[in-house]
Parts: sequence; C-alpha cells; structure tokens
Amino acid sequence: MIGSNRWEMLERIGAYTAGELSGEEARETELFILEYPDGRRLAESYARMLVLLSQMGEEKPEVPAAVVNYAIRRAYVSAFFRQAEDFLAGVGQAYLGAFVYYLGLRRPEPIG
Amino acid sequence: MTSVDNNLAEKAARGDVQAFARLVRTHSGLVYRVAMRILGTEDCQDASQEVWIRVWRNIQSFRGESAFSTWLYKITVNTCLSTRRKVRDREERELGDELPYLPNPPGGEDDPEAAALSGERREELFRALERLRAEHRAALVLRHMEGLSYAEIAEILEVPDGTAKGWANRGRAALLVALSEEGGSP
Repeated sequence: MIGSNRWEMLERIGAYTAGELSGEEARETELFILEYPDGRRLAESYARMLVLLSQMGEEKPEVPAAVVNYAIRRAYVSAFFRQAEDFLAGVGQAYLGAFVYYLGLRRPEPIG
Repeated sequence: MTSVDNNLAEKAARGDVQAFARLVRTHSGLVYRVAMRILGTEDCQDASQEVWIRVWRNIQSFRGESAFSTWLYKITVNTCLSTRRKVRDREERELGDELPYLPNPPGGEDDPEAAALSGERREELFRALERLRAEHRAALVLRHMEGLSYAEIAEILEVPDGTAKGWANRGRAALLVALSEEGGSP
C-alpha cells in the first residue's frame, strides 16, 4: 500500500495522527496502521514529531526590546511628519487665501 | 481582548501613537515568534520590525471585520513569505526508498528529560523546517504551533480551506522526511 502512492499515504497517516481524518478515510487508515508494521512506525514517528511541534509552540521566545522600541519610534517620527505636513498645508492654504483676498479676487464672506 | 484591540486600532488609525504602542507591546510576541518559526532566528528581528512598519502604514485599512490578531497574523505571514521568496526556496526532497521513521528518544517516551525539547532538538527542528517550501512551513506553523483552525489559516494565507489543509498535510509529510534525514533523534 505504501509502495503504490507513497506521498499520499504518508500525508494520510500524518492527517490521521493529527486527528484530522474522519469517516471512511479514517477507518481505512486505521486499518492500515494496525495491519502493517510500516504504517504503525510511521504513525508513531508522526506522533513524536507532533509532540515536538507542540512543545515548540508552547515556547514563548522573548522579544528583543529593540524590536518594540524601533516600531514605536518609527510611528512617532511618522506621526510627527504627518502633523507637520498637515500644519504646513494649513498655513500655506491660509496664506494663499489671504493673498487672494489681498488681490481682491475674492470678496470677504458675510458674517452671520 | 478583541474589542480592546479594535478600539486601539481605531485610535491608531487616527494617528494616536500611544494606542499603536499598546498594540505593539501586546502583540509583539505573536509577531516575533511566528517570524522566528517561519524564517528562523537570523531574519526574524528584521522581519518583525518590517511587520510593525506595515501595520502602522496600513492600519487605516483594518475594518474590524475579523479579529485584530487575524489581521496581524496575515501581515506577519505575508511579510515572512515575501522575505523568504527573496531567497529561493529549496526544493522539498522527494521521498527516498527508506521510509521516514523517527526513533524513540534515547531514554524512551516516559523519560521526561529525553522528552523535553532540548537545544539540540530545537536546532534539528529548525533546520528541518527550513527545508520546507514557504507556504507549507507557514501552514504547519499556524496549525501545529499556533493552534489555529483551517478556516483561520485559510483566511490568513488568503487561500481556500482545502488548499490550507493540503499545504499543512504536505508540510507535515515533508517535515517528517526532513527530520528523519537530520539524524532523526527528536
């Protein structure tokens, strides 16, 4: 069975060991694992590998302070430039408005 | 946490750097560990910094339709995958004549010392993971280390559920092959 389609069988035993097969597929794979020593050894190997993966998954590596500080510093710098841009755009617009008014190209808006 | 995160993301989108800083402090662990597991220890710091730059730049596009962490996973995985694509993926090894078995740990399954993830085993696992195609490795990391469902993995990788499942399946098999070739002593 393994010889005919090795990758497919390998993947299927992996999915079975991870508890991701159901119905007919699960029954077939279980039977294969019970009947063939190769299948049983593969299932045991997968089980060991899944334990390793989950052990690694439980580890919480410490984040270097440089990563956090860099991200926050970049955001502050970027926010500063955004505000400066808005401010300069506002000042420029006000000056332009005043200049247009000075040239008499626009009447003052009525109050009230 | 979701509503707190969404609230902070909303404020950050309006330019509130303090809200963004809280998001960074809360979720820097997620970004760093996923980057480490997909890219390895050498590139994970640069990739984590790049992720946060992208988050700040694009936070206005976060609509709150999914959890902030799902959106963050998506940016993290995409950043890691584009980093890995710069270095051409190694071809996954074909299955040789020998089947990929992993022997029992030296002290047997019941020996807690042998069962613990030693530095050597961790290195072996990292080296074996590096031999996987980037998509397979990402699916495997999200499934078996982050414990996400296939629906979540599919959303993060922006592929149909079946593809996410297929990538995890192939990744598991390829990892077993790679581990058995790495000396097979987990």
